[in-house]
Amino acid sequence: MEKISDALLYERVRGKDKDALEELYDRYEKMLFSYLCKMTGDRDLAEEALQEVFVKVWRGVGSYDESKGKFVAWLVTMSRNAAVDLIRKQKKPSVPLDEIAEVESTDSSVEETAEWQEKSEQIHQAVRHLSEEQQKMVHLFYFKGYTHETIAEKCGIPLGTVKSRIRLALKKLKTSLQMVQEGGVLDDKREL
Amino acid sequence: MTNVNCDQLIDYLNGTLNEQEQKQFEAHLAECPECREIVDATGELPYLADPVEPNTGMKSRILDAVFDEEEHPASLAEERTKRDSPAPPATMAKRGFRTSKWTPLVAAALLVSLLGNAYAFYELSDQPDAPAAPEVAFETVDLQASEAFEGTGTAALVHEEGALNLLVQANQLEPTSGDQVYQVWLLKDGQPIPTGAFTPSQENEGAVFFSLDENTEGWDTIAVTLEPNRGNTMPQGEIVLSAAIDPEA
Repeated sequence: MEKISDALLYERVRGKDKDALEELYDRYEKMLFSYLCKMTGDRDLAEEALQEVFVKVWRGVGSYDESKGKFVAWLVTMSRNAAVDLIRKQKKPSVPLDEIAEVESTDSSVEETAEWQEKSEQIHQAVRHLSEEQQKMVHLFYFKGYTHETIAEKCGIPLGTVKSRIRLALKKLKTSLQMVQEGGVLDDKREL
Repeated sequence: MTNVNCDQLIDYLNGTLNEQEQKQFEAHLAECPECREIVDATGELPYLADPVEPNTGMKSRILDAVFDEEEHPASLAEERTKRDSPAPPATMAKRGFRTSKWTPLVAAALLVSLLGNAYAFYELSDQPDAPAAPEVAFETVDLQASEAFEGTGTAALVHEEGALNLLVQANQLEPTSGDQVYQVWLLKDGQPIPTGAFTPSQENEGAVFFSLDENTEGWDTIAVTLEPNRGNTMPQGEIVLSAAIDPEA
Protein backbone atom coordinates (compact mmCIF):
# COMPACT_ATOMS: atom_id res chain seq x y z
CA MET A 1 0.00 0.00 0.00
CA GLU A 2 1.18 3.48 -0.86
CA LYS A 3 2.14 5.78 1.95
CA ILE A 4 -1.02 7.29 3.29
CA SER A 5 -1.26 11.08 3.13
CA ASP A 6 -0.80 13.28 6.18
CA ALA A 7 -4.23 14.73 5.63
CA LEU A 8 -5.90 11.36 5.76
CA LEU A 9 -3.94 10.36 8.83
CA TYR A 10 -5.10 13.57 10.41
CA GLU A 11 -8.69 12.70 9.54
CA ARG A 12 -8.17 9.43 11.36
CA VAL A 13 -6.72 11.29 14.32
CA ARG A 14 -9.91 13.31 14.39
CA GLY A 15 -11.70 9.98 14.67
CA LYS A 16 -9.44 9.28 17.69
CA ASP A 17 -7.25 6.73 15.98
CA LYS A 18 -4.18 6.46 18.21
CA ASP A 19 -2.16 4.58 15.61
CA ALA A 20 -2.70 7.42 13.16
CA LEU A 21 -1.40 9.92 15.69
CA GLU A 22 1.63 7.75 16.33
CA GLU A 23 2.31 7.53 12.61
CA LEU A 24 2.19 11.32 12.30
CA TYR A 25 4.43 11.61 15.34
CA ASP A 26 6.96 9.24 13.81
CA ARG A 27 6.95 11.15 10.55
CA TYR A 28 7.73 14.50 12.10
CA GLU A 29 9.38 13.80 15.46
CA LYS A 30 12.93 14.36 14.35
CA MET A 31 12.24 17.28 12.08
CA LEU A 32 10.23 19.19 14.65
CA PHE A 33 12.46 18.26 17.56
CA SER A 34 15.55 19.43 15.71
CA TYR A 35 13.81 22.67 14.85
CA LEU A 36 12.59 23.19 18.42
CA CYS A 37 16.06 22.44 19.82
CA LYS A 38 17.57 25.06 17.57
CA MET A 39 14.90 27.54 18.54
CA THR A 40 14.95 26.97 22.30
CA GLY A 41 18.53 25.82 22.70
CA ASP A 42 17.23 23.36 25.27
CA ARG A 43 16.32 19.70 24.76
CA ASP A 44 13.81 19.62 27.61
CA LEU A 45 12.04 22.74 26.49
CA ALA A 46 11.95 21.39 22.94
CA GLU A 47 10.35 18.18 24.20
CA GLU A 48 7.80 20.16 26.16
CA ALA A 49 6.91 22.21 23.10
CA LEU A 50 6.62 19.10 20.94
CA GLN A 51 4.32 17.52 23.50
CA GLU A 52 2.07 20.56 23.44
CA VAL A 53 1.86 20.37 19.68
CA PHE A 54 0.73 16.75 19.70
CA VAL A 55 -1.69 17.29 22.56
CA LYS A 56 -3.30 19.98 20.43
CA VAL A 57 -3.36 17.75 17.36
CA TRP A 58 -5.01 15.01 19.40
CA ARG A 59 -7.59 17.33 20.90
CA GLY A 60 -8.42 18.89 17.57
CA VAL A 61 -7.42 22.39 18.60
CA GLY A 62 -7.23 24.65 15.55
CA SER A 63 -8.19 21.85 13.26
CA TYR A 64 -6.38 21.25 10.02
CA ASP A 65 -7.67 20.66 6.53
CA GLU A 66 -5.98 20.85 3.17
CA SER A 67 -7.34 24.30 2.41
CA LYS A 68 -4.80 25.55 4.96
CA GLY A 69 -1.84 24.32 2.97
CA LYS A 70 0.43 21.41 3.72
CA PHE A 71 -0.01 19.57 6.98
CA VAL A 72 3.68 19.84 7.81
CA ALA A 73 3.55 23.63 7.49
CA TRP A 74 0.63 23.69 9.87
CA LEU A 75 2.64 21.61 12.33
CA VAL A 76 5.64 23.90 11.99
CA THR A 77 3.49 26.95 12.73
CA MET A 78 2.09 25.27 15.83
CA SER A 79 5.56 24.22 16.92
CA ARG A 80 6.97 27.67 16.50
CA ASN A 81 4.15 29.22 18.48
CA ALA A 82 4.37 26.61 21.24
CA ALA A 83 8.09 27.33 21.58
CA VAL A 84 7.57 31.10 21.51
CA ASP A 85 5.09 30.76 24.38
CA LEU A 86 7.39 28.52 26.43
CA ILE A 87 10.38 30.76 25.87
CA ARG A 88 8.33 33.74 26.95
CA LYS A 89 6.96 31.99 30.04
CA GLN A 90 10.33 30.77 31.16
CA LYS A 91 12.02 34.04 30.31
CA LYS A 92 14.66 31.81 28.93
CA PRO A 93 17.07 33.50 26.62
CA SER A 94 16.90 31.80 23.29
CA VAL A 95 20.07 30.67 21.60
CA PRO A 96 22.21 33.24 19.88
CA LEU A 97 21.37 33.86 16.29
CA ASP A 98 23.76 31.61 14.47
CA GLU A 99 24.88 31.74 10.98
CA ILE A 100 23.24 28.95 9.07
CA ALA A 101 25.19 25.91 10.11
CA GLU A 102 26.19 23.05 7.91
CA VAL A 103 24.40 19.82 8.53
CA GLU A 104 26.31 17.48 10.76
CA SER A 105 25.95 13.79 10.28
CA THR A 106 24.28 11.90 13.08
CA ASP A 107 23.79 8.24 13.81
CA SER A 108 20.43 8.00 12.08
CA SER A 109 19.78 5.71 9.16
CA VAL A 110 21.43 6.41 5.85
CA GLU A 111 18.08 6.85 4.15
CA GLU A 112 16.87 9.30 6.75
CA THR A 113 20.07 11.25 6.63
CA ALA A 114 19.98 11.37 2.84
CA GLU A 115 16.45 12.74 2.87
CA TRP A 116 17.38 15.29 5.48
CA GLN A 117 20.39 16.35 3.48
CA GLU A 118 18.41 16.80 0.33
CA LYS A 119 15.75 18.89 2.07
CA SER A 120 18.40 20.79 3.95
CA GLU A 121 20.37 21.62 0.83
CA GLN A 122 17.24 22.85 -0.88
CA ILE A 123 16.19 25.18 1.90
CA HIS A 124 19.72 26.43 2.48
CA GLN A 125 20.04 27.16 -1.20
CA ALA A 126 16.69 28.94 -1.22
CA VAL A 127 17.65 31.04 1.81
CA ARG A 128 20.85 32.17 0.11
CA HIS A 129 18.71 34.03 -2.42
CA LEU A 130 17.28 36.26 0.26
CA SER A 131 18.89 39.55 1.07
CA GLU A 132 20.76 39.78 4.35
CA GLU A 133 17.87 41.73 5.82
CA GLN A 134 15.38 39.11 4.69
CA GLN A 135 17.46 36.27 6.10
CA LYS A 136 17.58 38.13 9.38
CA MET A 137 13.78 38.47 9.44
CA VAL A 138 13.28 34.76 8.82
CA HIS A 139 15.78 33.85 11.52
CA LEU A 140 14.41 36.20 14.11
CA PHE A 141 10.86 35.03 13.45
CA TYR A 142 11.47 31.31 13.03
CA PHE A 143 14.62 30.50 14.95
CA LYS A 144 15.04 33.10 17.62
CA GLY A 145 11.52 32.75 18.96
CA TYR A 146 10.69 36.42 18.50
CA THR A 147 7.18 37.57 17.78
CA HIS A 148 6.83 40.31 15.20
CA GLU A 149 6.23 42.76 18.04
CA THR A 150 9.53 41.82 19.63
CA ILE A 151 11.33 42.19 16.32
CA ALA A 152 9.81 45.64 15.88
CA GLU A 153 10.99 46.61 19.35
CA LYS A 154 14.48 45.18 19.10
CA CYS A 155 15.15 46.49 15.62
CA GLY A 156 13.38 49.83 16.12
CA ILE A 157 11.18 49.32 13.07
CA PRO A 158 7.42 49.97 12.97
CA LEU A 159 5.32 46.80 13.42
CA GLY A 160 3.64 47.17 10.03
CA THR A 161 7.01 47.37 8.34
CA VAL A 162 8.23 44.30 10.19
CA LYS A 163 5.19 42.33 9.08
CA SER A 164 5.54 43.33 5.46
CA ARG A 165 9.27 42.57 5.55
CA ILE A 166 8.70 39.10 6.96
CA ARG A 167 5.99 38.50 4.41
CA LEU A 168 8.21 39.63 1.59
CA ALA A 169 11.05 37.46 2.87
CA LEU A 170 8.82 34.40 3.06
CA LYS A 171 7.38 35.14 -0.36
CA LYS A 172 10.83 35.28 -1.86
CA LEU A 173 11.78 32.14 0.02
CA LYS A 174 8.76 30.39 -1.46
CA THR A 175 9.73 31.43 -4.99
CA SER A 176 13.35 30.44 -4.66
CA LEU A 177 12.45 27.16 -2.98
CA GLN A 178 10.09 26.31 -5.80
CA MET A 179 12.82 27.05 -8.31
CA VAL A 180 15.33 24.95 -6.42
CA GLN A 181 12.87 22.06 -6.12
CA GLU A 182 11.77 22.20 -9.72
CA GLY A 183 15.00 23.10 -11.37
CA GLY A 184 17.40 21.06 -9.31
CA VAL A 185 20.53 23.09 -8.85
CA LEU A 186 19.97 26.78 -9.09
CA ASP A 187 22.69 29.21 -9.94
CA ASP A 188 23.31 31.01 -6.68
CA LYS A 189 23.91 34.29 -8.39
CA ARG A 190 20.75 34.24 -10.44
CA GLU A 191 18.38 37.02 -9.54
CA LEU A 192 14.84 36.00 -8.72
CA MET B 1 -1.97 39.54 -5.24
CA THR B 2 -1.97 41.63 -2.12
CA ASN B 3 -5.04 42.74 -0.26
CA VAL B 4 -6.09 43.25 3.30
CA ASN B 5 -6.31 39.53 3.95
CA CYS B 6 -2.88 38.78 2.50
CA ASP B 7 -1.51 41.35 4.93
CA GLN B 8 -2.72 39.23 7.83
CA LEU B 9 -0.52 36.31 6.89
CA ILE B 10 2.19 37.11 9.42
CA ASP B 11 -0.34 37.59 12.22
CA TYR B 12 -1.78 34.22 11.26
CA LEU B 13 1.63 32.56 11.39
CA ASN B 14 2.35 34.31 14.65
CA GLY B 15 -0.91 32.98 16.12
CA THR B 16 -2.08 36.46 17.06
CA LEU B 17 -5.38 36.66 15.20
CA ASN B 18 -8.54 36.50 17.27
CA GLU B 19 -10.97 33.69 16.61
CA GLN B 20 -13.02 35.56 14.05
CA GLU B 21 -10.01 36.97 12.23
CA GLN B 22 -8.49 33.51 12.22
CA LYS B 23 -11.58 32.04 10.56
CA GLN B 24 -11.65 34.84 8.01
CA PHE B 25 -8.01 34.37 7.21
CA GLU B 26 -8.40 30.63 6.87
CA ALA B 27 -11.21 31.24 4.39
CA HIS B 28 -8.87 33.57 2.56
CA LEU B 29 -6.13 30.97 2.63
CA ALA B 30 -8.41 28.48 0.90
CA GLU B 31 -8.85 31.02 -1.91
CA CYS B 32 -5.39 32.51 -2.20
CA PRO B 33 -2.78 30.20 -3.71
CA GLU B 34 0.03 32.65 -3.05
CA CYS B 35 -0.57 32.85 0.70
CA ARG B 36 -0.95 29.08 0.80
CA GLU B 37 2.33 28.56 -1.04
CA ILE B 38 4.08 30.90 1.36
CA VAL B 39 2.67 28.93 4.28
CA ASP B 40 3.78 25.69 2.60
CA ALA B 41 7.33 27.03 2.23
CA THR B 42 7.54 27.62 5.98
CA GLY B 43 7.06 23.86 6.38
CA GLU B 44 10.58 23.42 5.02
CA LEU B 45 12.26 25.85 7.42
CA PRO B 46 13.05 23.24 10.10
CA TYR B 47 15.58 21.73 7.69
CA LEU B 48 17.73 24.79 8.31
CA ALA B 49 18.40 23.29 11.73
CA ASP B 50 20.97 20.59 12.33
CA PRO B 51 19.37 17.20 12.81
CA VAL B 52 19.13 16.31 16.49
CA GLU B 53 18.45 12.82 17.80
CA PRO B 54 15.33 12.75 20.00
CA ASN B 55 15.71 12.49 23.78
CA THR B 56 15.76 8.94 25.14
CA GLY B 57 12.23 7.75 25.86
CA MET B 58 10.75 10.93 24.44
CA LYS B 59 8.24 9.27 22.17
CA SER B 60 6.59 7.21 24.88
CA ARG B 61 6.57 10.15 27.30
CA ILE B 62 4.89 12.38 24.75
CA LEU B 63 2.37 9.84 23.49
CA ASP B 64 1.49 8.82 27.06
CA ALA B 65 0.90 12.45 27.93
CA VAL B 66 -1.16 13.01 24.80
CA PHE B 67 -3.45 10.03 25.36
CA ASP B 68 -3.54 10.63 29.10
CA GLU B 69 -4.95 14.10 28.46
CA GLU B 70 -7.89 12.39 26.90
CA GLU B 71 -8.68 10.37 29.98
CA HIS B 72 -8.34 13.40 32.20
CA PRO B 73 -9.61 16.22 30.03
CA ALA B 74 -8.53 19.23 31.98
CA SER B 75 -8.45 22.72 30.68
CA LEU B 76 -8.97 22.99 26.98
CA ALA B 77 -12.35 24.10 25.85
CA GLU B 78 -12.57 21.87 22.83
CA GLU B 79 -14.31 18.69 23.84
CA ARG B 80 -14.24 16.01 21.29
CA THR B 81 -13.65 13.05 23.51
CA LYS B 82 -17.26 11.99 23.89
CA ARG B 83 -17.53 10.99 20.31
CA ASP B 84 -14.85 8.46 20.30
CA SER B 85 -14.59 6.99 23.70
CA PRO B 86 -14.45 3.25 23.83
CA ALA B 87 -15.85 2.53 20.42
CA PRO B 88 -16.32 -1.18 19.90
CA PRO B 89 -13.73 -2.61 17.58
CA ALA B 90 -14.83 -2.13 14.04
CA THR B 91 -16.04 -5.44 12.79
CA MET B 92 -16.16 -5.88 9.10
CA ALA B 93 -19.67 -5.67 7.81
CA LYS B 94 -20.78 -9.14 6.89
CA ARG B 95 -21.43 -10.27 3.37
CA GLY B 96 -24.94 -10.06 2.22
CA PHE B 97 -25.32 -6.38 1.76
CA ARG B 98 -26.64 -5.20 -1.47
CA THR B 99 -24.47 -3.37 -3.91
CA SER B 100 -25.29 -2.20 -7.34
CA LYS B 101 -23.83 0.15 -9.84
CA TRP B 102 -25.92 3.02 -11.04
CA THR B 103 -25.36 5.27 -13.95
CA PRO B 104 -24.70 8.82 -12.84
CA LEU B 105 -28.07 9.92 -14.12
CA VAL B 106 -29.97 7.30 -12.18
CA ALA B 107 -27.83 8.00 -9.15
CA ALA B 108 -28.53 11.70 -9.41
CA ALA B 109 -32.24 11.05 -9.62
CA LEU B 110 -32.00 8.74 -6.65
CA LEU B 111 -30.08 11.30 -4.63
CA VAL B 112 -32.73 13.90 -5.32
CA SER B 113 -35.36 11.41 -4.37
CA LEU B 114 -33.65 10.47 -1.12
CA LEU B 115 -33.03 14.07 -0.19
CA GLY B 116 -36.58 14.89 -1.21
CA ASN B 117 -37.88 12.29 1.21
CA ALA B 118 -35.70 13.52 3.98
CA TYR B 119 -36.60 17.12 3.23
CA ALA B 120 -40.30 16.28 3.25
CA PHE B 121 -39.75 14.65 6.60
CA TYR B 122 -38.12 17.70 8.07
CA GLU B 123 -40.82 19.92 6.69
CA LEU B 124 -43.34 17.63 8.22
CA SER B 125 -41.73 17.55 11.61
CA ASP B 126 -41.95 21.30 11.78
CA GLN B 127 -45.67 20.97 12.11
CA PRO B 128 -46.67 21.36 15.74
CA ASP B 129 -48.72 18.19 15.72
CA ALA B 130 -46.45 16.18 13.49
CA PRO B 131 -46.68 12.43 13.96
CA ALA B 132 -43.84 10.60 15.64
CA ALA B 133 -40.72 11.02 13.55
CA PRO B 134 -39.84 8.08 11.36
CA GLU B 135 -36.30 6.84 11.77
CA VAL B 136 -34.74 8.72 8.89
CA ALA B 137 -31.53 10.67 9.07
CA PHE B 138 -29.42 11.90 6.25
CA GLU B 139 -26.15 13.65 5.76
CA THR B 140 -24.46 14.92 2.64
CA VAL B 141 -20.81 15.77 2.47
CA ASP B 142 -18.56 17.21 -0.19
CA LEU B 143 -15.59 14.97 -0.69
CA GLN B 144 -12.21 16.68 -0.53
CA ALA B 145 -9.81 15.91 -3.33
CA SER B 146 -6.33 14.80 -2.39
CA GLU B 147 -3.36 16.74 -3.62
CA ALA B 148 -2.88 16.40 -7.37
CA PHE B 149 -6.35 14.97 -7.92
CA GLU B 150 -8.69 17.05 -10.02
CA GLY B 151 -11.96 15.29 -9.36
CA THR B 152 -14.81 16.29 -7.10
CA GLY B 153 -17.42 14.24 -5.38
CA THR B 154 -20.37 14.18 -3.05
CA ALA B 155 -21.61 11.52 -0.71
CA ALA B 156 -25.07 11.14 0.73
CA LEU B 157 -25.74 8.86 3.68
CA VAL B 158 -29.27 7.97 4.53
CA HIS B 159 -30.22 5.94 7.57
CA GLU B 160 -33.59 4.41 7.02
CA GLU B 161 -35.27 1.55 8.81
CA GLY B 162 -32.09 0.14 10.24
CA ALA B 163 -30.20 0.26 6.96
CA LEU B 164 -27.51 2.67 5.88
CA ASN B 165 -27.76 3.74 2.26
CA LEU B 166 -24.74 5.35 0.79
CA LEU B 167 -24.60 7.17 -2.48
CA VAL B 168 -21.36 8.50 -3.86
CA GLN B 169 -21.09 10.58 -6.98
CA ALA B 170 -17.94 11.96 -8.50
CA ASN B 171 -17.10 14.16 -11.46
CA GLN B 172 -14.02 15.16 -13.42
CA LEU B 173 -12.50 11.80 -12.66
CA GLU B 174 -9.31 10.69 -14.27
CA PRO B 175 -10.01 7.75 -16.59
CA THR B 176 -9.04 4.35 -15.22
CA SER B 177 -6.84 1.93 -17.09
CA GLY B 178 -6.71 -1.86 -17.10
CA ASP B 179 -8.50 -3.33 -14.08
CA GLN B 180 -8.43 -0.12 -12.09
CA VAL B 181 -11.59 0.95 -10.29
CA TYR B 182 -12.57 3.76 -7.99
CA GLN B 183 -13.39 2.09 -4.70
CA VAL B 184 -15.47 3.67 -1.97
CA TRP B 185 -14.68 2.91 1.69
CA LEU B 186 -16.33 3.68 4.97
CA LEU B 187 -13.96 3.96 7.90
CA LYS B 188 -14.50 3.61 11.59
CA ASP B 189 -11.51 4.34 13.82
CA GLY B 190 -9.26 3.93 10.83
CA GLN B 191 -10.66 0.53 9.87
CA PRO B 192 -12.04 0.50 6.34
CA ILE B 193 -14.70 -1.62 4.73
CA PRO B 194 -15.30 -1.58 0.98
CA THR B 195 -18.63 -0.04 0.04
CA GLY B 196 -18.91 -0.27 -3.70
CA ALA B 197 -16.73 0.48 -6.67
CA PHE B 198 -17.20 2.19 -9.99
CA THR B 199 -15.42 3.12 -13.17
CA PRO B 200 -15.91 6.54 -14.73
CA SER B 201 -18.16 7.10 -17.70
CA GLN B 202 -16.94 8.74 -20.90
CA GLU B 203 -17.94 12.03 -19.32
CA ASN B 204 -15.55 11.16 -16.48
CA GLU B 205 -18.39 10.81 -14.02
CA GLY B 206 -19.09 7.93 -11.75
CA ALA B 207 -21.48 6.93 -9.05
CA VAL B 208 -22.26 4.02 -6.82
CA PHE B 209 -25.10 3.18 -4.48
CA PHE B 210 -24.47 0.88 -1.57
CA SER B 211 -26.62 -0.35 1.24
CA LEU B 212 -25.56 -1.85 4.57
CA ASP B 213 -28.06 -3.86 6.55
CA GLU B 214 -25.87 -4.23 9.60
CA ASN B 215 -23.07 -2.37 11.28
CA THR B 216 -24.67 0.83 10.12
CA GLU B 217 -23.51 3.10 12.96
CA GLY B 218 -20.41 5.00 13.92
CA TRP B 219 -18.67 5.52 10.59
CA ASP B 220 -16.45 8.56 10.83
CA THR B 221 -14.81 8.85 7.43
CA ILE B 222 -15.63 8.16 3.82
CA ALA B 223 -12.89 7.80 1.25
CA VAL B 224 -12.48 6.92 -2.40
CA THR B 225 -9.30 5.24 -3.57
CA LEU B 226 -8.07 4.35 -7.00
CA GLU B 227 -7.52 0.60 -6.70
CA PRO B 228 -5.46 -1.50 -9.09
CA ASN B 229 -8.34 -3.99 -9.28
CA ARG B 230 -11.84 -4.66 -8.06
CA GLY B 231 -12.64 -6.61 -4.90
CA ASN B 232 -9.91 -5.53 -2.48
CA THR B 233 -10.93 -5.81 1.16
CA MET B 234 -8.19 -3.39 2.23
CA PRO B 235 -7.14 -0.32 0.28
CA GLN B 236 -4.07 -0.73 -1.89
CA GLY B 237 -4.34 2.42 -3.97
CA GLU B 238 -4.04 6.13 -3.34
CA ILE B 239 -6.85 8.04 -1.69
CA VAL B 240 -8.29 10.50 -4.18
CA LEU B 241 -11.35 11.82 -2.37
CA SER B 242 -12.29 11.80 1.29
CA ALA B 243 -14.32 13.51 3.96
CA ALA B 244 -15.14 13.21 7.63
CA ILE B 245 -18.69 12.21 8.40
CA ASP B 246 -20.59 12.52 11.60
CA PRO B 247 -20.66 9.15 13.36
CA GLU B 248 -23.82 10.21 15.17
CA ALA B 249 -25.74 10.98 12.00
